[in-house]
Parts: sequence; structure tokens; C-alpha cells
Amino acid sequence: MISILNQSRRRLTCLLHSRAMSWELHNVAIIGGGMMGRSIATKVAQEGLNVCLKEISNEAVEASRAELEASLDHSVARYDLTNSEKKAILSRIRWVTQFDCAADCDIAIETVQEDFGVKRRILRELDRRMVEDHPIVINTSTLSITELAAQNSCPERIVGMHFLYPVTTTRVVEVVRGQLTTDEVYTRAVEFARILGKVPIKVFEMPGFVTTRVIMPLINEAMHTVMEGVAEAAEVDLAIKLGFNFTMGPLEWADRTGLDRVLNWMQHMHSESGEPRFRPCPMLKRLVRAGLHGAKTGQGFFTYDANRRRTDRLPDDKPRLG
Amino acid sequence: MKILVLNSGSSSVKFQVIETDLDRMKAHQDQTLATGLVEKIGLSDSRLVLKVPNRKAYTDYREILEHRAAIEWVLRILADPEVGILDEVSDVGAVGHRVVHGGEAFASSVLITPEVVQQIEECSVLAPLHNPPNLRGYYAAHAALPDVPHIAVFDTAYHQTMPPHAFLYGIPFQLYTKHALRRYGFHGTSHRYVAFRGSQILGWERQEHKLITVHLGNGCSTAAIDHGKSIDTSMGFTPLEGLLMGTRTGDMDPAVVPWLMAMEEMTLHQVNTMMNKHSGLYGISGVSSDMRELVEARANGHQRADVAFRMFCYRVKKYIGAYAAAMGGVDAVFFTGGIGENSPEVREWALSGLEYMGIEIDRQINDGLHGGEGEISTDGSRVKVLVVPTNEELIIARDVVRVLNDIMPTWEPPETVTP
Repeated sequence: MISILNQSRRRLTCLLHSRAMSWELHNVAIIGGGMMGRSIATKVAQEGLNVCLKEISNEAVEASRAELEASLDHSVARYDLTNSEKKAILSRIRWVTQFDCAADCDIAIETVQEDFGVKRRILRELDRRMVEDHPIVINTSTLSITELAAQNSCPERIVGMHFLYPVTTTRVVEVVRGQLTTDEVYTRAVEFARILGKVPIKVFEMPGFVTTRVIMPLINEAMHTVMEGVAEAAEVDLAIKLGFNFTMGPLEWADRTGLDRVLNWMQHMHSESGEPRFRPCPMLKRLVRAGLHGAKTGQGFFTYDANRRRTDRLPDDKPRLG
Repeated sequence: MKILVLNSGSSSVKFQVIETDLDRMKAHQDQTLATGLVEKIGLSDSRLVLKVPNRKAYTDYREILEHRAAIEWVLRILADPEVGILDEVSDVGAVGHRVVHGGEAFASSVLITPEVVQQIEECSVLAPLHNPPNLRGYYAAHAALPDVPHIAVFDTAYHQTMPPHAFLYGIPFQLYTKHALRRYGFHGTSHRYVAFRGSQILGWERQEHKLITVHLGNGCSTAAIDHGKSIDTSMGFTPLEGLLMGTRTGDMDPAVVPWLMAMEEMTLHQVNTMMNKHSGLYGISGVSSDMRELVEARANGHQRADVAFRMFCYRVKKYIGAYAAAMGGVDAVFFTGGIGENSPEVREWALSGLEYMGIEIDRQINDGLHGGEGEISTDGSRVKVLVVPTNEELIIARDVVRVLNDIMPTWEPPETVTP
């Protein structure tokens, strides 16, 4: 009996060692309580980690908190969560207006708008406060991690993670290595993705990475198809949705993401790469200039009610069995 | 020998210290020295409660971020000179771990080796919410007590005696061979204890009778135990099948799932959560998943609470009838679990109209029994009906002794099926 136990124990120790995480992860700082910041915060808290969510003012905190609660209520109504899970998520999120909270955090994620200058200022604030080897994550789909990291005292701890909205249900996250990102920091970012139940896609730094680079030309082409009069927007979307088993068509996806954001990404990718396939369709520009930003404004390619439900579906655009 | 029994959940660890060995087992002199739990693991206000017989309960709070710290805390408190019950941590002679799913690999309790850990991990695909925290508890306990044997006791093992005609689903056979997709049953340790203890109270040999055990807690299941062996049980591939439960659907036409996914555009996750966490007593009543609150609400005229209560009892009755048919009769019905032990209303409704089967309960005795052991059938009842508070921890501690003395019985299926 004793010898069996000793033998078992030796092999088990190796097993346990190989499973050990390389750093302790309990507290996560999230900078920015917008749509993406709230969605990441929800997922992180759902996995049992503590979140410190920074907004710019008390008013912004209140607005963001109200949006988060409404979105959790919606998840409960859709059977994604229970009421007690909602309470547990809220209990793990601490709202702040200062960067100081990052000092106690094991990882920080900035989730502010896709603006180089704003992101760079935030990185400096985090860099100044956080323990030296704790990763700082840039959530971006088009900006250069290397360039953003370059002016920080520890550029090697800066890594990119491109979360896709809604973070609570989308299974994938792109983990982006900058030129100076160390192996250790990159591994931690991959581990973090796994803790969140995500499949990490390892990508190198190129504008758009994989997901944005592939989806943008599809959306752009759908817009051109409408603009050139090949088919109505609803017909284009339905053809792609039913033809390729997508959950929604590319134009509805763009509406739900926000046409202003889509335009911003395309402009970045176009200016970075110079590739004509990323040149935004004039129709997209026209809609954005008119303030028709999609589901959030009630009108984009399609119309939406106050709960962001589409109101103009074609009769054939409905679920059916088989 | 002092045995630490652990039941590790995702954010809690329940524990007991039980003194037992072969001699104590024979004399039924196993002794529970302490019980307790650590809850809210992962939060800053984790709570430890320790209860020692004839002492005031001890409670403490601190930040406990993972299972390893929780187990270390438990051991430190158990060996504390003022509140503990051990002289030192090394007094623990062995650890018994509750593991929910043993798949087809485990028809018995076993000493945990790296191979066993590997197999439990493989079973995690069958119980993704339960086996991983069970294993986290094991890793933590093994780190704290590396020199003692650790034994795994599986919820599914006791039902491995089900014959193929009871455990197979009516789906293509290849799906069974490819994914081990079949009925397993759960609460096995509870059904096993209740069958043992109920028979003991009646002075019966388990191997000579036909028993129906009814475990009604937050999760609910019933089992047909024919001459000492589980031949059928109501939970299946997952703990969702069978009786209506606090928040779980129990039996339902599986065609509802694709229908909802198509018509309500629900995702897999949403349907799964809806069936496991938004349904059952809570989903029907809209009041609560707690039977006590439901009984109160229906007494106040709440119609949906009333129909939820009736659905719950009706399902229990249907299964009792089905299992009596499966065994060709029944000699005794044993109720256990929070609801089974404490709700005379449920017991009465579930058994009403079964007099033709020889089941008659004494309403006065039934009404007076809230918790505790007792017989609730009339003297003339051909089928004995008992309330038997479950004690899974005792079974786990005893299995530790059995495994260490190499006398652990296994529950193999009576026949195998080959493709």
C-alpha cells in the first residue's frame, strides 16, 4: 500500500506542477465602462475574478452601471443568467474614477475608443502604477500594439487582446503579440483567455488581425452590392444569412456593431495597409454622416426599436425547424 | 481511524471528520467528530463554519481565493487547540472525496492514483460543472495531506448495476459506443445509504427485498433497488432527467429543445440554462424553488404554486408506480433529502391513491414527522413507508475503510452489450 502511494504521489506531483499557473490572477482592472468594457467586466466577474472598472467621472460610472444592470436583466430574461448569478457578478465589480485601483490588479485591460492618443495616455497611467511584470492589455482591432507600447517604461509587458462583442458569449479572442512583448507576458494573456473560457487565436501584429481583416471586406462588399442596385439590403443580408448559416447578415452585424465604429476600423485599415479592398463604401460614409449609426440610433441599413430589435424583417427571415 | 470527508463544489467545501474502522463499522459505532463548510470561496468574505457535537458552532470569516487555501484553513481549524477536534493535522488517517461522475469507468470506490485522476478528468465532459471542482478539492487536499491515502467515492457507481435495457436511450447505438451516451443516475451514495439504513430499521436484509428510495432535495431522484441492486433510477445522462426539481425540468420531450432554438432563436447555452436553472418548481410557480415557500404560497391561494406542487408530487407518484412495475412489486418506500425528510404534504400527496398497491400512510404520524427517522405507514400497510435522513458522508467514510482493507464491493452491470 505504502509503495503504491509513494509512486502515485511522485507522478501526481509532476501532473500538478505542469498544471500550475505561472502567476496568481485574482484582480482585473478594466479601463473604460463603455459597451466593450462592460461586456469584458461581466465575463471576468462571471468567472469569479474581481473587477475594478474605471470610468472618467461619477456621472459616467452611474450611467455605465445602469447600462450594465439593464444588460444583465436582459440576460436573465433570455435565460443566459439567473438572478443570483447576476447578483454575484455585480458584487465582484468595483466602480472607480481613478487609475489607482490598477496598483492592486494582476492584469489591466484598456477598452476605450479606437483612438491612438487616448489609448497611449491610458497606457502611461497604468504603466506608472502597476507592478512591473503584470500585463497591460490593449483591446484593439486595428491599432499597432508595438507603436502604442513604444513610449512606455516597460513596453515588453504590453500585449493586445481583441475581444469580440458580446464578450459573454463569443468564444474567441485574438491575442496579439507586439514586437517587444515577452513570451511570459504573452503566455499570461493566453492563460487569461483560457480562464475566461475563450479560445485564444494567436496572431501577429497586422491591422485587423484575423477577424476584422476578414469580416470587413465582406461587409464592404455587401454595402457595394446594395449601392450598385444588385439587391435590396434586406435581400442581401438574408441571402448571406441563410446561404452560409450565419446567425445574422453582414449589414445587420454592422448595424449592431455601430456603423460609426465599422467606418472607423475600415479607415484605419485602409490608411495602414493602403489596400483598396479596405476603402470604405461611400454608402457607409453617407449613413454615418447622417447620424444613422445602426441599432443604437434606431436606424442604419435597417430599423430597430428601443430594445434594439429589428422591426423590418422580410417574411422569409424567420426561424423554422428543418 | 479519523477520516476527513470532503465534498468540494465550485465555491464551497463541505467537510466532516468521522472516526471509524472495521470494528466500529461492524458494531455501528462510527462517530461523527465534526461537520462544517467553507463557503464563498473566491470572495473576500469567505465563511468557515465548524460544528462539533455538544459545542457552540464556530464561525470565522476571511478572504479565501481558492480551494487550496480553503482546505488549509479547515485543517488549521480542526487542529486548533481551542475550537478544533484533532491534536494535530497528522491525526487524519485518510481522506474520502465525493466525486459526482465516474462514468462507466468506476463501479466502485477507489484509491486515487494519477490514472484515476486522469479518468475522473475524462469524465468531466459528462459532468462539467461538478467533476472539475471535485478535482480541485482533491488537488488541494493532496497538497495539504500528501502522506495519507485519498479515496474517491462516486455518485454514479451505485447505479452501475442497471441493466442495459434500463440504461440505454432509444437513440442509434453508435452514439452510446462513441460518446458513452447513456443513463448513469446520480445521488447513488444517498440511495445506497437510505436503502441500507431503512432496511436496518426494519430489521431486513437488503438483499431480500424490493425497495424504492426517493431522494427529494434541491435535486431529486428515485431508485428501484431490487434485492440490494439499483436496477433503475430517474436521473439519466445528467441530473436533469426524471422528477421535477427546484429549478430543473425533469422529464420533458427532447423535441422541445430544437423547437425553442428555432422559434425563440435561443442558443445552446440559453436552452441549457433555462432547463437547469430557470425551470422546475421555480419556473412553474414563479415564486420560489423552495418547497417550504411553495407550500405556504399554495395555502394562501397562489395557483401557480399549487400546480407546481401538484406536478412535483405527481411525478414522484408516477415513478413509484413505474418502479413497482419494473420490480414486480415493492416492499418498502424510503423518503430522504430536505423535502423528503421535512415535507409531510409532499409525502402524503405523492402516495395518495396508492392504497391498491398496498401503500397506506398514517396521516397523523406523517404530519408529525419533520426531520428525523420514522415509519409513516399504518400497521396494516403491506408496503412499509419510512423517512430516513440521508448520510452520504458516513458511506464515504466507510468506503475509505473498505478500500484500504480491500473489501470494497463493486457494482458491475448484470450483462454487457457489444456492438
